[in-house]
Amino acid sequence: MQNKELTDKKSPKLSVVVIAYNNELYIEEALESLHEQTFDDFEVCVVNDFSTDRTGEMIERFIEGKPKFKVVHLDKNSGGCSTPRNTGIANTTGEYIMFLDGDDWYTIDACEKMVAGIERTNSDFVAGQVIRTNNYQIWFHKQIYSDERTDINVREFPTLLFDTLSVNKIYKRSFLDKHGLRFPEGIHYEDIFFTGKAYFLANSVSVITEPIYYWRVVENAKVKSITNRRFEFANFKNRITAHRLYDQFLREHGDIYYQREKNNKFLRHDLKLYVNDYALYDEEYKVQFHKLIHDYLHEILDEFSFLSFAEKERIMYYLLYIGDKDAFQDYVYYIKGLPTAMDRVYSAGGSYYFKATNPNQNDMKFLELEKPESRFQISHIEMTDEAFSFEADVRVESISYSEITTYFTLKNKHTGAVINSRLSGNRISFPLDRMTPGNYYLHLNVIHQGNVIKYLVKRTDLVSLPNIKIQDNKLSKDLFINHKNTFGIKVYPLGLINRVKWVFVRKWDLVMQKKEYQDVVQKITNGFAKEFLKKLSIRRNWVLFESHMGKQYSDSPKYIYEEMYKQNRNYKYIWSFAKPDSVQLPGPAIKVKRNSLKHYYYLIRSKYWVDNQGMAHLTQKKKEQVYLQTWHGTPLKRMGYDQKTQQSDEEFARLKMQTNAWNYFISPNPYSTAIFRRAFRYGGKIIESGYPRNDILINMPEEVIQKTRSHFKIDPTKKVILYAPTFRDWDPNSYQKTIKDIQFLSETVDKNTVILLRLHYLLSSKLSHHALPKNVINASSYGDISELYLISDVLITDYSSVMFDYALLKRPIVFYCYDLEEYISRRGTYFDLAEKAPGPVCKTIDDVSSYLNNPEKLVDFKPALERFSSEFGSKEDGHAAAKVIEQVFDNK
Amino acid sequence: MPKKNIVFVLNEYNGHGGAQRVAAVLAEEFVQDGHDVKVLSINKQKNEFSYFSKDIPVHVLHSGGYRPPMAKSIGASLKTLNFKKINAEIKRRMQLIKRRKDVIKFFDAYGNEDVYVIVVQVWGMQWLEPLIYRPNIKIIGQSHESIKAAKNSHRYKRLLKYYRQVSKFLLLTHKDAQSFEKLGFLNVDVMYNPSPFRKQIEASELYKNKTIVSTGRIVDDKGFDVLIEAFAKVANELPGWKLEIYGEGPAKKYLNSLIKILGMENRVFLKGQTGDVQSVLAKSSFFVLASKAEGLPMSLIEAQSIGLPCISTDCAPGIREIITEYKDGLMAPVGDVPFLSRHIRRLALDPNKFHSYSQHAFENSLKFDKQVIKNQWYELFEELGGNLDAK
Repeated sequence: MQNKELTDKKSPKLSVVVIAYNNELYIEEALESLHEQTFDDFEVCVVNDFSTDRTGEMIERFIEGKPKFKVVHLDKNSGGCSTPRNTGIANTTGEYIMFLDGDDWYTIDACEKMVAGIERTNSDFVAGQVIRTNNYQIWFHKQIYSDERTDINVREFPTLLFDTLSVNKIYKRSFLDKHGLRFPEGIHYEDIFFTGKAYFLANSVSVITEPIYYWRVVENAKVKSITNRRFEFANFKNRITAHRLYDQFLREHGDIYYQREKNNKFLRHDLKLYVNDYALYDEEYKVQFHKLIHDYLHEILDEFSFLSFAEKERIMYYLLYIGDKDAFQDYVYYIKGLPTAMDRVYSAGGSYYFKATNPNQNDMKFLELEKPESRFQISHIEMTDEAFSFEADVRVESISYSEITTYFTLKNKHTGAVINSRLSGNRISFPLDRMTPGNYYLHLNVIHQGNVIKYLVKRTDLVSLPNIKIQDNKLSKDLFINHKNTFGIKVYPLGLINRVKWVFVRKWDLVMQKKEYQDVVQKITNGFAKEFLKKLSIRRNWVLFESHMGKQYSDSPKYIYEEMYKQNRNYKYIWSFAKPDSVQLPGPAIKVKRNSLKHYYYLIRSKYWVDNQGMAHLTQKKKEQVYLQTWHGTPLKRMGYDQKTQQSDEEFARLKMQTNAWNYFISPNPYSTAIFRRAFRYGGKIIESGYPRNDILINMPEEVIQKTRSHFKIDPTKKVILYAPTFRDWDPNSYQKTIKDIQFLSETVDKNTVILLRLHYLLSSKLSHHALPKNVINASSYGDISELYLISDVLITDYSSVMFDYALLKRPIVFYCYDLEEYISRRGTYFDLAEKAPGPVCKTIDDVSSYLNNPEKLVDFKPALERFSSEFGSKEDGHAAAKVIEQVFDNK
Repeated sequence: MPKKNIVFVLNEYNGHGGAQRVAAVLAEEFVQDGHDVKVLSINKQKNEFSYFSKDIPVHVLHSGGYRPPMAKSIGASLKTLNFKKINAEIKRRMQLIKRRKDVIKFFDAYGNEDVYVIVVQVWGMQWLEPLIYRPNIKIIGQSHESIKAAKNSHRYKRLLKYYRQVSKFLLLTHKDAQSFEKLGFLNVDVMYNPSPFRKQIEASELYKNKTIVSTGRIVDDKGFDVLIEAFAKVANELPGWKLEIYGEGPAKKYLNSLIKILGMENRVFLKGQTGDVQSVLAKSSFFVLASKAEGLPMSLIEAQSIGLPCISTDCAPGIREIITEYKDGLMAPVGDVPFLSRHIRRLALDPNKFHSYSQHAFENSLKFDKQVIKNQWYELFEELGGNLDAK
């Protein structure tokens, strides 16, 4: 009641507290903006914080004759904003309170809008828009101020926490008094604490969308305002102090749940400011900075908070969190393209990581890089009729130069054709004779530990760009920069007719390239055709072959086929391949592309299917059709129902579908027969004939040996080592190990020896970018491995079934099983390899090498080899194919 | 210095915008130094006078009055069977091919000699594009507006498209240059516009004129309405002061009625076009620019060149390269009438401030002096070098 009487008598509706410290340039403008307000019922209290310039005098002169205004001169400088603002609150009586800083100003109707806002919403306080004068954009416009928000609570809209300003708000005095809410004296960044506290104390907050406050941002100012001097450590310390008070309040007020939201603002806004300036700090600052931020981060969060951040912040904050000053500094240098104190970027598998100074198991979660940064410069560009060439200076940040090799490619965007660079002297050059119309873009390819990292060359990577155009009588080749600033060579035909033609071809190809377009066409035609084909009858003399899902012409299907056509049997043969064009097929068979409509046609109509993996899922096999499953090796690792890990129902269903389709199954020996029955739960016919593919190992035809040797250009006097490791799909790093081992072997074998590599295709494709030593030949893409056995003198392998076949040759085998225990525990084996092995089982490559270089040591394993060969090769007599054919195919 | 071949490329050589004025000032300077200067103009206006002196040969590309429309996709028009559009587009393309041949002929006349081609407006680049592959032709592209202003038109796309491979891309302000650098342009630099005159008039003389002046085309973008309102708001507190606006344009009628509504007929005057900017400024006290968008406004440079303090809206980065706040002028947010009015009052009522600002304004204008700018151009020509100089 007493309050009401007071207001009635003379308390104005609104009090505005203006604080001023050395604002002589601006204070007049701030006060004018108040004096000319469209609102009338208010009082102004200007608090002069012991200014040393003319500010005080200017305030006095301005308020003369203006009864709404009064001034309080503090008798000593308070060093911040809190004391003056609190003084202002104490010296005014209005129902509502607003604040204005001496270098800013209000819009003409700020007071009217804000009072109307708070009266309409009855909120504890109301926030209005702030415009910063460096860009005239509204402070947090998109996130907060895009919409009017009435009567909300910060807990339902925590984004509000991003706006920690106190000056763009109007407060109910009763709200401030009820909670004793005042600015914290003696600390800077008072707004962080004051506003944060206000948000959580208020039951109701509203936001209006009118601009009310101009925040003067003076760029390049000599004297930065108190809260902008980020180069003094005290400044950072002050900010953390304010945040700690705020955190303490959250804990005590029972709002600890919202710490996470508060942290979000701290990381994305406050900390980011300091991290951005890091390179400018001196050593003393850095030491203190790391200590304080390390401590503070541990108080408020754990490292998993950083997972939601973009790469750069994630890595920086994590390094701050673990207190790794050296790595942090190196990372800042790394992203700026400056040299780092040590090589920090490393690869594990296909991914890249930044290395902490003391690596820790969890690091990889937080320190992963999308791609290593590379900085390269291309200079002295020339283009003549014959060649396009330049000099290049390439480095990948924080990776040793000796670990990388590089080459450039020019790729025609339109046709996909690629031209590889050649190195001539210090110049990188491309022949131009095979260019076709289209835009060629230049790529840098960095090979690092088997990974090929690609970088598109941009204008910014060129030291200078000569505008060169080369024309012959057909084509024009112009160096150009496209709209994305990418450097390229534009190639187009000359002559009006050719140009018009080119425009149409280009457009048409673009349309046809669209994936969805292709798919639609295929779906429609396939759908109709398949329905139609299903009704066709079976052809009794058609045989469809496939090996390893159409990837090769090899294995038992190959030898069965060759035997059949040698016997001149009355059949039509069809082979399916993933890439039919790349296979040379002897004999009368026709090739089809796997999964094509044609393939489907033969799949449905052929009476016989011969395959070594699985094709039953491609279509429903009909009763009259005969499926001969040759399988692809004597089992060592557990399969099917014997597997160590529990398979899912779907996987079992798939296996069952396949095994149900088999009519005949080829087994190489009694040992395998027992396993196949059990592992596949297969009750059908098993032909225990030995492997057709192994016939060649018994017969050893001289012409095949000659052909294979000459294919690889291996001199007959040379000794050949075949290295065929298995693929460890659980270990992304196995590739790097393989590379190192190959390197080691190549250096340690004698001069008269050649190493043939036989790798899984995934490994092999990585290797294709790697320069191999001269005495190493990559035979991974060679069709038939049996032919490689024939020409090699020693085999190095591990868990692969190649051991069973190779043992038939009775030539030495060295086992290189560096991860024997792991393999056994993951995969499980049917017998103890170490015990039964027909050769030495080595744990290290040194060990392997010592056997290779001392063949006399291998002699000791001869009895084991004999034993092994007779156990697993008992059925092999060189006529397996003929025996199988006799049983399966009735036509003569 | 050996004689240089210089070609200015403009949309219309006899237009009356800032771009033509600047080009004419420069061209005159180059001619006086004995260089061979020509103008290549895409179109021309009918029966209009030109800022360029009669001695400078002008080649007009579309002398028949044809104005190329915007490029349109034929494919899209085919779908809607809009044959009128297709026809116009085919005509445009045929014209472009023909006129490009003319341009090539124009430059063939120089033989192997180096030619410095100053493309004042980016529009002309579509005819010059094939020439970037000629080693003797150094194309210097210019943009006479801020990025923000360019973005509101087709010009921004053209800048991105045509200026990537030119020898030099000149912007009016450092901030604009930085923006293009961020986009990967490595050929950018900054070149100020030269003031056509520079002669100081005593601050006390200027102050006595009690006249606020503003010039420019009378269009909405120039914000003359804001200026008039702002002046009207404080007119009573500024006895004896008047506001004079020079220029012509479509918004004149609207401004006239605004003046009437505000009752300012005796205080605000629309003076029409002037041929003698220098004497108009000499009769004034200070300059106010209330624009919404600008590049590096010539009007402020000219005002400073005789010692007028300036008040301007903070509408483009170029303003801050001319005015230093609280030293030689004042700045206000765009469209803020009350704020602008307070600045007007502040400057008009404080002779000491006025004197100090006036002196600093004139000193600052040195960086826009004709001689200074001309020498910067010569340095640029040297930097771009050329076959003949090098060999």
